[in-house]
Amino acid sequence: MALTIISLIKQVPVPSEMRMGEDGLMDRTKAKSIINIDCTFGLEAGLQLKKQNPESRLIVCSMGPGSFDVALRTAISMGYDEAYLLSDRKLGGSDTYATGLAIATMLKHLGFTKDSKDPYIILAGRQTSDGDTAHVPSQVAENIGIPQATFVESVKSDGTGNVIAKRIIEGGYQMMKLPMPCVISLTPTGIPPRKPTLSGAIKARNLKITTFGIDDIGLGTEKIGISGSPTIVAKVINIVSERPPITLSEGHNEASLVDSLIANLKKGGNVLVKKEAEAKKDTERPDFPEKDFRDGSSGILTWAEITNGNVSRPSLELLTPARNLATQLGVGTKVMTLMIGKNVQHLAQTLIEHGSDEVIIVEDDKFEEYLVLPFSSIFEQVIKVRKPEIALFAATTSGRELAPRIGMKTDSGVTADCTGLEIGEYVDKKEKVIYTPILESRRPTYGESKLATILGFVCPQISTARAGTFEVPKRVEGRQGIVSSVKPVLNDQDFVVEILKTVRGEGGLQNLFEADIIVSGGRGTTTDNLGLIKALAEALRSQGVNAEWSCSRPVVDEGVAEYARQVGQTGKTIRPKLYIAVGISGAIQHIAGMKEAEKIIAIDHNPKANIFHNADFGIIGEYQDILPELIDRVKAGFTFGIEPKKEV
Amino acid sequence: MSNVDTVTTDVLIIGGGPSGLASAIHLADSLKHKGLIQRILLIEKGGSIGSHILSGAVIKPEVFKELLPGVELSEIPFNAKVIKDSTVLLSKNGNITLPFHIPYMNNIGNYTASLGQICKYLAIKAAEKGVEIYTGFAVDEILYKDGKVIGAKTKDTGLDHHGNQLENFQPGTRIEAKITIFAEGTRGSLTKMLIKKFNLDKDKNEQVYSLGCKELWSVPQGNIEAGQIYHTMGYPLNNDEFGGGFIYGLNDNKVAVGLVVGLDYKDPSFDVHDAMQVWKTTSFVSKILKGGRLLEYGAKTLPEGGHYAIPKLYVDNALIIGDSAGFVTMPALKGIHLAIKSGMLAAKTAANALSNNDTSEKSLQQYETLVNNSMIHDDMYPVRNFRQGFAKGTIVGGFHFGTQLISGGAGFFGRLRSHADYQTTQKLSELKAKPFKERFKGKLEFDKVLTFDKATDIYHSGVYHDEQQVVHLHIKDQEKFNAINIEQYGAPEQFFCSSEVYELHINKDGKKELRIHAENCMHCKTCDIKSPGDGITWVVPNGGNGPDFQNM
Repeated sequence: MALTIISLIKQVPVPSEMRMGEDGLMDRTKAKSIINIDCTFGLEAGLQLKKQNPESRLIVCSMGPGSFDVALRTAISMGYDEAYLLSDRKLGGSDTYATGLAIATMLKHLGFTKDSKDPYIILAGRQTSDGDTAHVPSQVAENIGIPQATFVESVKSDGTGNVIAKRIIEGGYQMMKLPMPCVISLTPTGIPPRKPTLSGAIKARNLKITTFGIDDIGLGTEKIGISGSPTIVAKVINIVSERPPITLSEGHNEASLVDSLIANLKKGGNVLVKKEAEAKKDTERPDFPEKDFRDGSSGILTWAEITNGNVSRPSLELLTPARNLATQLGVGTKVMTLMIGKNVQHLAQTLIEHGSDEVIIVEDDKFEEYLVLPFSSIFEQVIKVRKPEIALFAATTSGRELAPRIGMKTDSGVTADCTGLEIGEYVDKKEKVIYTPILESRRPTYGESKLATILGFVCPQISTARAGTFEVPKRVEGRQGIVSSVKPVLNDQDFVVEILKTVRGEGGLQNLFEADIIVSGGRGTTTDNLGLIKALAEALRSQGVNAEWSCSRPVVDEGVAEYARQVGQTGKTIRPKLYIAVGISGAIQHIAGMKEAEKIIAIDHNPKANIFHNADFGIIGEYQDILPELIDRVKAGFTFGIEPKKEV
Repeated sequence: MSNVDTVTTDVLIIGGGPSGLASAIHLADSLKHKGLIQRILLIEKGGSIGSHILSGAVIKPEVFKELLPGVELSEIPFNAKVIKDSTVLLSKNGNITLPFHIPYMNNIGNYTASLGQICKYLAIKAAEKGVEIYTGFAVDEILYKDGKVIGAKTKDTGLDHHGNQLENFQPGTRIEAKITIFAEGTRGSLTKMLIKKFNLDKDKNEQVYSLGCKELWSVPQGNIEAGQIYHTMGYPLNNDEFGGGFIYGLNDNKVAVGLVVGLDYKDPSFDVHDAMQVWKTTSFVSKILKGGRLLEYGAKTLPEGGHYAIPKLYVDNALIIGDSAGFVTMPALKGIHLAIKSGMLAAKTAANALSNNDTSEKSLQQYETLVNNSMIHDDMYPVRNFRQGFAKGTIVGGFHFGTQLISGGAGFFGRLRSHADYQTTQKLSELKAKPFKERFKGKLEFDKVLTFDKATDIYHSGVYHDEQQVVHLHIKDQEKFNAINIEQYGAPEQFFCSSEVYELHINKDGKKELRIHAENCMHCKTCDIKSPGDGITWVVPNGGNGPDFQNM
């Protein structure tokens, strides 16, 4: 009963090579293709499992054009045994729902079903660099009907048919035990992918890749391709971002240099400008009949995620777009919030005071921590009864796996990581009909260079909203609402995944993604083990600023900081409001990881350092002199113009 | 971990440049002609064929007719045919176009080209003929049995900076071959080991090198004609420095520009990259680049020791070809046609050896005989003393070259010797001339329009290196290095390096330390050649690492 390890991979254009063409459009033609970075971590996780289970069979699968052959052969050269490609023109334009469906159908065709006798595990990357949704692993798991763990850093088999996965969550991690078969998606923070071997490359050259069309696997065209997908990309506009040349501080000593920096910062000017290019004016609204496709669905359902016994901040933020959409949809549109947890009844009033009209509570001791299987099942049951037209989730590690799992159950698809949610209409010129009202979900894409508007035509229209994008709505003390409770029907199958341990602590990868200010130390700052770097971050935190510290690669190599703190490794990009680079020379890989920061301050003794070409403000000097001065200023209340966060 | 995998082949070719690819093509043809079926494996360290290839380039096309009989020249992806060829003498304030050509330097009828593109084409031809080409694999060890070469091994991957095995460790693959052909290009790292092991440079001149820095530009229509080429002499180089610039007008309003400087210069702070930027500011060059933009940057050394520096080219089961053997003819700095020719001659030798089932040194000696009776010899022998003649500067060099022209290459002094390039660098205390920075004071502020710092330039090379690996630039003896290279010479590495790999770090206590940013390395090999005291050894990093040249 040998184990089968299945890796799902996608071939994508190299993100760093996606350059803006002279016309302002992203030029994908010149970019070389690679295996999506996250997927390569999935491949490696499979190879590590093979080390534990030497008898296991390694399979790699992909869906896409024939050119994906290259990626599959690369996987073979790394040590995989067999390769399958699902390739059919009719799949072109598929959204994530359709993609998940197609891949799951291929796997089932290959004999990997819910009831397979032999154990298997499906590994995937967390998300792709060109799509960025993180939906497909969840959707494949849901479609096959097996458990899942996404955002996983490492995975091991425990020798008794289960796998132990370390799942990254906000501010920490969870150890989970999953039975096989299951789906695991890997973050690019685990064991880095191995290099191909020559012997592997020779094997890859001679291997026959099995290619399926949709007819081969018995997949109809109803739910795939552009026409079958429940969501479409309606519009894409460019966001032009440009970093003006650096303003260097002038001064003779650290005090005057820092004075100069503060003055320059006040003048501002140097801010990453993100312009939304003017969209071409639509031609006049044609005189087509209007179509309301909601078919009786009404209201907006949001999820209140509970962490550490409280409603998480991103779930409260969600009530801002929810209320806004309710207003746009008109009188009678209700905002409902589903809250699942242990002893959470008392939190309902908080949600109502922030804007919920009704809080639906599911309470059980088993729900102290979020679990995707029972939660998605509860949502399915609530949606069936309440028929919301829209369902919103915060794009947290949980929201981003829960929403697509639900979207597969409701056949409605999901739009990921939105920064704008509005009600609009869609003119279908082919069908000569205007769909209205419809949810317009806007999301940045292609490395934040474009803003896409996605529409869904099946209710509920599901979207996840990027944390930190929307303000938490003002709390209205004494606001009235309904509190109801639901007893869902759940079975043992919903509880096969066990959470062994949940650790939420200081620091960690996720905090880095959410911090407003990141102070980052390079090789030049290790003499005091990053003491001054940490001290500056700490000083900012004591001022109430959401600040974190990170480092460049050599610092991790020297063992001064853990890997999770490293910025600039391929695939890890952060976007704080302010990035303070100290003693960082600015190797290309590092720049790629931080260039999306709104503002960048560089401090280094070497005026030639490349970092100065990629920063807005700079001080040339020794960090041992400059940082203590800066720390003093922060202690005196200077926070680089970043508003301290008020506790919610 | 699993045992090391072994693959066997009849012929292993290390390197996918013009010599290796020509060798593969001609070998496949020769074996077919003999009715033999043999396996030919070609391994290239670059991520793709052409990604580590950089040359001017102006190519003499005739050899392609020999290599690919029946193929029209028009099928080969050359760039513009040379229509105008001028040599220009630059001074600080102006320029004069010489009314005549330096002998051996007329290029009318030759073709400009991206050598990388030519290599891609040759690789397709080779693959059609059954050659197995694997790119992105670094070969870092020669395999021996009973003291004879029996192949090579690809590099172990998945090591940390200290060489410890990580969880994703993968042992390299042993490639056992009847014949191994070393086609690594300039200053091949395995070829260097092979030469040392078998003492192949016994009684030969030291190989000497130049470093060429090159930029590819897109310029407005009318700046330069396609097929118009210039070579420049003089400024910014002085009489002590051998070299010059090149400007090749290409199709589609592209232009290749570069500066090539002999690495036997004296000033330890000399910087070829920066000198090239100064060169671009001359009115002659800047008007050609005006309004244009930088597309690519790269750098590479080239062997120019000539005839007397060619090592013995064969041992049991192994042959050396192309730039690794030093087949470059001066003063035209042409080696592509010789690389291709040498690859073909090695192929012919190998095919005979395989068909006779005798790959011994005696059998492979045929290669040397073939070289000596070929155009390689005809091209290189008459200028056998050319480069050495310039060791004392361009005026003396000009005199030597003049006598050589009269005497058929011998000059009036017979064979001129050469010194290794690292030996010619002067200590800070010995340097009488103005150091580089003073010499070009005010000209080293780069405007990022016409002139670029190294960091900007290397961004245009596509260079990438895996972070997890042993640093591929080895300082042989750290203490000696600090005492000699840093203290006596002022760390010339920080200046001569074409891609800002080396940084001299001085902490606040005044402690100096050479820091290595290996991730920027352009694989030009200058540090392996020019470090005082032969202080640095360049070893091959992980396969697929290095620059990613597109049209160089």
